[in-house]
Amino acid sequence: MNFYEHTLIAKQDLSTLELENIEKKYKDIITKTAGKVIKVEKWGLLNLAKKIKVYNKGFYIHYKFEAESKTLEEIKKNSIIDNSLLRHLTVKYKKLDTDTEYFKEKDANEKEK
Amino acid sequence: MKRKNKKFNKRPQNPLNKLSLFQKSDSRFSKKCPLSGKDAPIIDYKNVKLLKRYVSDTDKIMPSRITSVSQNKQRKLTSEIKKAKILGLI
Repeated sequence: MNFYEHTLIAKQDLSTLELENIEKKYKDIITKTAGKVIKVEKWGLLNLAKKIKVYNKGFYIHYKFEAESKTLEEIKKNSIIDNSLLRHLTVKYKKLDTDTEYFKEKDANEKEK
Repeated sequence: MKRKNKKFNKRPQNPLNKLSLFQKSDSRFSKKCPLSGKDAPIIDYKNVKLLKRYVSDTDKIMPSRITSVSQNKQRKLTSEIKKAKILGLI
């Protein structure tokens, strides 16, 4: 069992219900293949640095989980076929730090101003 | 009578002595690596604020001879910057 981080970019023009379905779908994939979801972060709608397939913005969803190589294959298979996603990335970690959230602090500071 | 020891008094450098306007003065240049040592920032692809400092205006990775990052950390930086570029964060 190893620790991984997985981030998705969903398309900009999706409804909130569809976004929840996407979040649920990948959560289920991890839990079905004997994995363990530690944390799910929603970064919300962010500007992309460059245009990706006509889109300027995207919804970011971030998973932190513990699993084996079986689940990674399963996630990769599904996210390549998935039409509502723009990009995805998985990174392996020896240790996960669940405390620091780089994208949540920004929003809180902006609201105060 | 005491004579002032003028030899060791550092005189301020005349800006006209420089070869070019963009040449940095010697005192300002630091050779220490800003990313290693105690309470150094974490290099991670989510830490976009930090990574943007080491990228030029045209999205190129800055060479370590300019930023004075150590070789070990420079290797980490490049891999994290490339990850951030895949996700469209930089």
